[in-house]
Amino acid sequence: MTAADTATPKRTARTPRKARDRVRKVAFTRALNDALDLAMAKHDEMFVIGEDIAEMGGDFGVTKGLLAKYGPERVRDTPLSEAAIIGTCAGAAMVGMRPVAEIMFADFIAECYDQVVNNVAKLHYMFDGQFKAPLVIRTACGGGFGGGPHHSQSVEGWFLNVPGIVIVAPSNPIDAKGLLLASIDSDDPVLFLEHKALYRSRAEVPPEYYTTPLGAAAIAREGTDVTVVAAMRMVPMALDAAAKAADDGISVEVVDLRTIRPYDAATVLASASKTGRVVVANEAPRIGGLGAELSARISEECFSQLRGPVVRVDGLDTPIPFSVPLEDIVLPGTDDIAAAIATAAQY
Amino acid sequence: METSTLLGLYRDMWLIRAFEQGLEREFEKGNVPGMLHTGLGQEATQAALAWHLKATDTFFPDHRCHGINALAQQRHGGDGERVMAELFGKATGVCSGKGGSLHSADPAVGNFGDNAVEGSYMATVLGVALAAKMRGQPNVACAIIGDGTVGRGEFHESLNMAAIWDLPVLYACINNGYAISMPVGEGHASADIVDMVQGYGFSSQQVDGNDIVEAWTAVSSAVEHIRSGAGPYFLEFKTWRWQGIFAGEFRPEAEVKYWKEERDPIMLAGETLAGRGVAPNDLEAVEQEMTGLIEEWIAFALESPEPDPAKATADVYVGWEVDSR
Repeated sequence: MTAADTATPKRTARTPRKARDRVRKVAFTRALNDALDLAMAKHDEMFVIGEDIAEMGGDFGVTKGLLAKYGPERVRDTPLSEAAIIGTCAGAAMVGMRPVAEIMFADFIAECYDQVVNNVAKLHYMFDGQFKAPLVIRTACGGGFGGGPHHSQSVEGWFLNVPGIVIVAPSNPIDAKGLLLASIDSDDPVLFLEHKALYRSRAEVPPEYYTTPLGAAAIAREGTDVTVVAAMRMVPMALDAAAKAADDGISVEVVDLRTIRPYDAATVLASASKTGRVVVANEAPRIGGLGAELSARISEECFSQLRGPVVRVDGLDTPIPFSVPLEDIVLPGTDDIAAAIATAAQY
Repeated sequence: METSTLLGLYRDMWLIRAFEQGLEREFEKGNVPGMLHTGLGQEATQAALAWHLKATDTFFPDHRCHGINALAQQRHGGDGERVMAELFGKATGVCSGKGGSLHSADPAVGNFGDNAVEGSYMATVLGVALAAKMRGQPNVACAIIGDGTVGRGEFHESLNMAAIWDLPVLYACINNGYAISMPVGEGHASADIVDMVQGYGFSSQQVDGNDIVEAWTAVSSAVEHIRSGAGPYFLEFKTWRWQGIFAGEFRPEAEVKYWKEERDPIMLAGETLAGRGVAPNDLEAVEQEMTGLIEEWIAFALESPEPDPAKATADVYVGWEVDSR
């Protein structure tokens, strides 16, 4: 945090209430930047590495200012070598460093998929616990801005079938900071998904160091009639849809997964059992995705409490087109979640 | 090279040969699960590397490196028999049987494990080297690769990044002429890998991988260069593997005869030692001693128990347990 973010009490007293709120609200990107800064101060063995992350501060400004504060050894620009970036993190983690990589766009993870899946995720297991991989791979995912087929994908499904990897997916700036700090502290390798559409979202983010537990979902809104299970951008959309449903007398509970793998089954199943009607919302294509896993698990374990089938909201089974109107067709939105809530409410 | 050193290397090479020949026999009997790649014919390169790497150094062994794994155990106070037991998938193995031939690691002796995806650790080695550099440790991080790995993108990403960051990496490329069935000159722009490496601008050298004295001397200089902080070093060992491919021998008969009968690294070292006055009986005693040792290791592996069933779900995560069936 800089002085600009922490106004003195004297100045606060003179600032009109609305303006003061604006000052205290911090963007998602800034919350992440703050987390990296605090973590680098805490962990001498931590370094950040990626393409254009040093002088430029990353494509979205998340690493801005770190070079000036921590120097080029710990804030390291690389050539376009995603496999070498993740391999470097893996090797450094094997000898006790705590690297944080930035893969500029999640779509580019295909270039280092082998490193993540065959090396990072497995080295603790296949070498019988002799090594750990305490590294974080931060990456910008998700669509909705005309990024086209290679700058818009939601990649959690690519990794859901990979034991050993942790997938963290915040939906708001407060969790983003706490989850990133927890991910850096974790001795397991974390794929940290940052939905680009959330980067500009703002909230009152505590300036101090704090962690948000991995593997723990949050109840983003309490309700009694329908449960919506979501992550990342689907959470604010689900909250909007829930507010609309409330106007129609439907009480919706929104479960924000926060960690996608290993996910908080206890919270999901408790909510599903309570309401008996479930919608799972996910931006990625339907087949083999997060919605498929959640739907199967809820159906298996809450069958007798369910009043009807789990309703899935997903992206269409297509690549993501460049045209914004076409992209709107392909990606799910608030209306799709609202329609799914209405369907579930009828059971 | 002093005769005592050469005799030591001769022993090391015999340990590798006896290990691989014993393993081959047990594989044919069905006692070794999975696949088998042996380092027969390549003993000199492995003995030379093992000699110069300390326990505080790191090496990533390739598929044919059972021998260097065993030598590292012997040199740094470990148990060679645990390398053998790992190949049998037993509880007493260095990875409790969870890694096998292609994923045997033991960081206590510097062995950071093979990766069955050829070339993958060309990227991993960068991180180990970077950590050593950031911490100011004079450690060498060594990637032992075959000529086939030169085709991987990570090979080039690694050389590029080691060059721009001046990392303490020793690249040991064991060019045995074939990537499974692909001749090195057909699979790459040059059959001489050092020619391809030169553009990266750091020190490289091609050596006769079947001449233990030349290989040992080259590794010695390369390691010294790296420890002095002068950046990465690439060594290409020209050699030849005795093992054919899974379907059998596919190489011309004259080629097989030449390498096995005229270029056997152990035979060549034995001739040098004999020329220096070492008695034939003393050389034969080395062979017998090593063969006897390996038979003890094989017996140990055969008698060892299977892994604890709890190992199946252990160590997937550090922070979470995974359900059992």
